[in-house]
Amino acid sequence: MSMDSHEAGVQMTDPAWAWAPYRPDARRPWDLRRVAHLYRRAAFGANWEQLQRALAAGPQPAIDRLLEPAGDVAAFQRTYDEYEATAGDDGESVSGWWLRRMIESPHPLLEKITLFWHNHFAAGISKVGSGDWMRRYVQLLRAHAMGPLEPLVRATSHNLAVLLWLDATANSREKLNENFARGLLELYCLGPGKSSPQNVHEAARAQTGWFIERGSLRYFERLHDPGPKTIFGQRGNWTVDDLARIAVAQPATSRWIVRKLYRWLVSETEDPSDALLAPLVESYAKDHDMARLLGVVLRSNRFFSAAAYRQRVKSPVELAVGTLRGLERLVPMPPLVEDLAAMGQNLCDPPTPNGWEGGRTWITAATMISRNNLAAALLDPTGRYGENLDPQAVAGRHGYGDRDSAQTWLWDLFLQGDVSPAVRTMAASSTLRTLAYRIITLPEFQLA
Amino acid sequence: MSSTRRQFLKASFGASTLLSLGRRVPGFLARAAEAESVRPGGDKILVVVQMAGGNDGLNTVVPYADDVYQRSRPTLRLTARQVHKIDSHLGFHPRMQGFLRLLDEGHLSVVQGVGYPHFDRNHEGSMHIWQTAVVDPAKATTGWLGRAVDHIYRPETAQVPAVYTGEIAQPFAVRAPRAIVPTIRALREATLQPGPGGRGGQRAAAEPDATNPLLDFVRRGAAAAEVRSRRIEAMAEARHSALAAGYPPFQFAEMLHTIAELIRADVGVRIYYTELGGPSPGGFDNHAGQLDNHAALLEQLSESVAGFVHDLARDGLLDRVLLMTFSEFGRTLRENGRRGTDHGTAAPMFLAGGRLTGRLIGAHPSLTDLEGDEMKFHTDFRQVYATVLDQWLEIDSRAVLGARFEPVAMLRG
Repeated sequence: MSMDSHEAGVQMTDPAWAWAPYRPDARRPWDLRRVAHLYRRAAFGANWEQLQRALAAGPQPAIDRLLEPAGDVAAFQRTYDEYEATAGDDGESVSGWWLRRMIESPHPLLEKITLFWHNHFAAGISKVGSGDWMRRYVQLLRAHAMGPLEPLVRATSHNLAVLLWLDATANSREKLNENFARGLLELYCLGPGKSSPQNVHEAARAQTGWFIERGSLRYFERLHDPGPKTIFGQRGNWTVDDLARIAVAQPATSRWIVRKLYRWLVSETEDPSDALLAPLVESYAKDHDMARLLGVVLRSNRFFSAAAYRQRVKSPVELAVGTLRGLERLVPMPPLVEDLAAMGQNLCDPPTPNGWEGGRTWITAATMISRNNLAAALLDPTGRYGENLDPQAVAGRHGYGDRDSAQTWLWDLFLQGDVSPAVRTMAASSTLRTLAYRIITLPEFQLA
Repeated sequence: MSSTRRQFLKASFGASTLLSLGRRVPGFLARAAEAESVRPGGDKILVVVQMAGGNDGLNTVVPYADDVYQRSRPTLRLTARQVHKIDSHLGFHPRMQGFLRLLDEGHLSVVQGVGYPHFDRNHEGSMHIWQTAVVDPAKATTGWLGRAVDHIYRPETAQVPAVYTGEIAQPFAVRAPRAIVPTIRALREATLQPGPGGRGGQRAAAEPDATNPLLDFVRRGAAAAEVRSRRIEAMAEARHSALAAGYPPFQFAEMLHTIAELIRADVGVRIYYTELGGPSPGGFDNHAGQLDNHAALLEQLSESVAGFVHDLARDGLLDRVLLMTFSEFGRTLRENGRRGTDHGTAAPMFLAGGRLTGRLIGAHPSLTDLEGDEMKFHTDFRQVYATVLDQWLEIDSRAVLGARFEPVAMLRG
C-alpha cells in the first residue's frame, strides 16, 4: 500500500490531525484492508463475518464494538476462569487456557491489552515457579487492564508473582530492599533513568514491612518504617499504597505508558517524536484510563494511515491466534503452547523484565522455519493438530463453495489483496488447504 | 569462502526444485547466502554441555594414589587398577576410555579446581549462578550465553548465532534480552517442513519492496530461512546416522551428532548448548547408590564426546570447535553412608577440541587443605567463561560478565 504524499506531509507536521478521528473519504476509504488492520491490532485478527459486519457498520461503530462487545462477556470470563482454575500449578496449562481464551473470547481487545500489561509487568514462571501464582497474576492484569493505571499498579504491589519476580520478598526497616521500589519506578511507571537513587530509596522505605512467607503475602507493622518520606517532592508518612498514587501521577509515567502502547498498537518501525505523542500524553495524564486512551488511538487518523499499516510484525501469539480465529476452529493447546515457545514467545515466561522486544527480533532464519513448520502442522490433517482446520468448510459456510471464489475469499480473509499478482500466481494451488498453508507462510502474512 | 562451504553451497543450489521457482528467486537466495558468509568475529564454535545434578569430580578424574581419597570413600573408591591412568596421581573413571584417548590425542583438557566464592550448595541456586555468571540472584535476569549472543546479534541480519539442542526446557544460560535462541532436538525441526501441497509461500519472495522496509526485512528473513534449511537438508542427505558415524548408542550422542550436522551445514551458528543429566535436580545428583548410576552417565559423556570429536576431526572441523562441560558443583569428599555423596564444591570442567594447550590445567585441589570439610577451588568459573568469550568467540567478556576475570591459559592461539 503506497503512502499518499499529502497524507504523509500532514502526518509529519500535525499531531492534532494524527489523533483526530478517522473519517473515511475517497482517498482513505473504509475498505476490507482497514477493517482487517483494525482487527489485527485490536483483536489478533478476525473471521469473515466480523470483517463483513465491521465493513458494513463503519469504523467508529466497529471500534465501539471492540471496546465494548455485545453479549454476556462476563459469563464467558467466569466460565474460562473456572476452566483455568483446573490447571492447578501447571504453568503450561495456564498458558494453554490463556491462549484458548484469546481465540474464543468475545472481547479479544481485552486479551490484547492484558497481554500488553503482561509484557509490561513481565513476571515469568521460570522465576515465579508457581502456575497458580501466574494464573492469579494474569487474572489481576485482566481485571484492571482497561481501567485506570493507579489501581492496576497498586494491585501488582500486592501480587505474589510480581513481588517474587522483582526479588522483593522481604523488606524491613532494618534491612531495606529497594527491588520493589526500583521495579515500580523504573519498569512500571516512569521508565528507566527517570528516578533518582534518593527517590528509589525513599520509595523502598514506604514499602517496608512486606514479606512473602510460606507462599503468602504478609505485612509486619513493626518492620515498617513509619517515618516521613520525600518522594518526587511529596512529603508524608507514605505506605506502599501511596506509592502507586505518587508514581502514576508523575508526568514521565504517562509518557512511558503512552509510548509503549504506541509501539504495541500503532507501529514498531517508528520511534514517535514527543511532539506526536504529546496530545495523547496530555489526555492520558488526566485519568490514566486505558479504555479512553485506546478509544483515541484506535479511532485516529494515525492509526488508519500508512504510518501504521503493516508496520508491526505479528508475534507468535498473534500469528497463531489470528489464523485460528480466521479459520474458526480450535486446535489442541498443549502442542501450540510449545510451538509458540519455540518461536520465541513462551506465554507466561517473558525473557526479561523488559518483556518481549518484538518487532524485527521475531524474525530470524530459525523462527521463520518454526513459523513455516507450525503452519504446515496446523494445516496437515495427519499432523499433531489433527483434522481441525478445514478452510474449505469455512469457505462453504460463507457461501464460497466453488473453487475460484473460495480462493479469492481466502486471499481476502487473510491478506485483503495485499500481495502482488506475481506472488498470487506463485502461490496458486489446487486445494484451499494448500493455499491456506502458502498464504500463512508468506512474508506478507507475518506483518500485522 | 572455504572449499567446504563452496561444496555445500553447490549441493544446496544444485537441487532441481530451485529451477521451478523462476529466475529471480535463486538470485535472491544466492545473495542471502553470500551475505551469510561474512561472519563477524570469525567462525569459531563453542559447544557447552550442562551436566545437571552436581558431578562427582573425584570419581571422574580420580586421585587414586591419594590415601585421603581412598579412606574417604570406603564403598565408592576407585583403585589404581580400575582407573585409566592419566599420570602417577590421577586417572579417569573406568568407563571413560574415550576421554583418555582424547587426552592422549591432545583433544581434551581437564580444568581442575573450578568453583566460585561462597558456594551455593543448592541445585537451583548454584545452577542459576553458573548459567547467569552472576552471584547475586537479583541481578541475574539473563543467561551468560544469552548476553553473549545479544552482543553479536544484529536484528537486521535475521540471524541468531546460537542453538539449544536438548530435551528439557531451554536452560536459563541461553536466555537473552532480545535474541530468540531456537530449540532444535532433531534436524527436521531445523528445516522447512513441507505442508499440504509441498513447500510454503516463503519461496514466493520476489524483489525487495521499496514501499515497506519491514516487509523487505521479513522477505530477507524468509530467504535466510530457505538458505539455512537447504544447507541443513543437503548436509543430512549426504551423511550417515549417528551410529554409522561412530557415535555410541546414547541419546546424548544423538544430540552431539545433531550438533555436528549443524556445524557441518555451516549456517552461522557459533554457540551450541546441550545437556546431559535432564531436568532439575539432575541425573548427576547421586545421594545414594552412586556407583552404577554415575558410571553410566560418565560413559555417556566420555564416549559421546569422543565420537563427536572424531566426527569433526574427520571433516577437518575440529580446530574450529571448543566443547566445554560444567556442573553446578562437585560432591563431598567423604561419602555419606548411603553409598553416595552430597553436594560439594570445587570440581573439574572438561574442554574438548582442536586447539587446547595442555592435558591438566591447574593443580588438583588438595584433599587435606580443606575449607569446611570440602575442597577449595582455585579457578573461578567466570575466568573460564571469560577466556572462552575473549579468546575463542572474540566477544568482550567484560561486557558479558560485568567485570574482568583473569584468563586461564588453556587455548592455543
